[in-house]
Amino acid sequence: MENALELLALSPPGWGGNLLRGLWSTFQIALGAYILGLALGLFGAFGKIYGGPVLRGVLTVYTTVIRAVPELVLILLLYYLGTDLLNMALTSMGFERMDISGLWAGIYVIGFVQGAYSTEVLRGAFHAVPFGQIEAARAIGMSAFTAHWRIILPAMIPFALPGLANLWLIATKETALLAVVGFSELALETKQAAGATKAYFMFYLAAGALYLMLSLASTGVFALVERRFRRGQPSQS
Amino acid sequence: MTDPASASGTAATLQVEDLHKSFGDLEVLKGVSMSAREGDVVSLIGSSGSGKSTFLRCINLLELPTAGVIRLSGEEVKFKGSGPNRVPADKKQVARLRSQLGMVFQSFNLWQHMTVLQNVMEGQVQVLGVPKAEARARAEAILERVGLYDKRAQYPAFLSGGQQQRAAIARAVAMEPKVMLFDEPTSALDPELVGEVLKVIRGLAEEGRTMILVTHEMRFARDVSSEVVYLHEGRVEERGAPDEIFTHPKSERFAAFIQNTH
Repeated sequence: MENALELLALSPPGWGGNLLRGLWSTFQIALGAYILGLALGLFGAFGKIYGGPVLRGVLTVYTTVIRAVPELVLILLLYYLGTDLLNMALTSMGFERMDISGLWAGIYVIGFVQGAYSTEVLRGAFHAVPFGQIEAARAIGMSAFTAHWRIILPAMIPFALPGLANLWLIATKETALLAVVGFSELALETKQAAGATKAYFMFYLAAGALYLMLSLASTGVFALVERRFRRGQPSQS
Repeated sequence: MTDPASASGTAATLQVEDLHKSFGDLEVLKGVSMSAREGDVVSLIGSSGSGKSTFLRCINLLELPTAGVIRLSGEEVKFKGSGPNRVPADKKQVARLRSQLGMVFQSFNLWQHMTVLQNVMEGQVQVLGVPKAEARARAEAILERVGLYDKRAQYPAFLSGGQQQRAAIARAVAMEPKVMLFDEPTSALDPELVGEVLKVIRGLAEEGRTMILVTHEMRFARDVSSEVVYLHEGRVEERGAPDEIFTHPKSERFAAFIQNTH
């Protein structure tokens, strides 16, 4: 037991510091990807609702393909394809090839996947807003922008939050898949620590505990947010 | 009524001429005209399917009329295209005219994520650009008048139907509209809550507001209206001063209608 605690110590020769750094990377990627996913999701949802046939078609391909292909495959595909395309663009414009930082690549890859799910969550939330709320906004003379910003988006949030909370938890766990492209987030740090010390069970248990902490804290935050946005609705209990 | 030829010379606040509306092949309004001068209360009555609600919703363009002219204070709503492809030509004009037409819906349609006070302030601040403090003061005064000052911090879902409708009326009044449009304001209410809403509407009529009212409350229409318009299958079947047409109906259909609803 004493031996185990030494292995988990924050400074070398303990591996605890590595694990925490991994957790911090995981959190940063998840947060960045989630925000990117939300932005893509907003664009995707309103594109599907108001867009012309071409835009709607493109978005349908996006959400269908992304949701159909396993995440691990997508991550490999998007990571190598994305970095290759970027470098091809750079070299064709006469710039040097560059190494893309694992952090930004991770955010881009997972965010792109999240965007497809967010699109559907937000589109569903839009359709759940009672039409009378929108009519009242139009009838009082609001511009389309004001009606969306002041009435429709806030009315969508209570319907979107359960789905969006799920997506956040999925984002935190999806970061583990980035280990396959060699980005040192929590899963890869754990693997290295475990491999170097042969204390597999303990390190994976520690990693599991860290993921659990992250998810419990997130659930708490989402419960607060949800309570705030549901304040206009009588409790169902 | 004045001579229709000089209609543009009269000071009609709201004027609708020969309004048509079709949904696909179904023609719901087959040429309905009306006008209201300042202070007029015009009640639209008729059985369901007569087109009275559709007519009202055409006035503020929640439905787009397929033909016809709408003028508010002499300003004509601009359209482009024709028939089912006829759309407003100027979105800014539509928004501005809507802000001058206070709409009260059958199902209240208060914004659920805002308190009663915020609902009444919202249009003033976001549409009219009234400073918040001023909008709040005006909203509180109006809520006081409709008897909801104590409920101003509540969310709509926690209020009774009658309270919600009074809040919705306050929201419309706060815009200081030129004309108020009521779309069956008491039809969604429990019978015991109808009275409190009618009382508020009567108060507004008595202070000289111009109103168009779609209603099933015959006695109320008779009491508050300066003109009653009876619609049947998308046409005006009978119209006139309430005391006159209710006591001496000219059309048999209207006579039967008031027999059945009294």
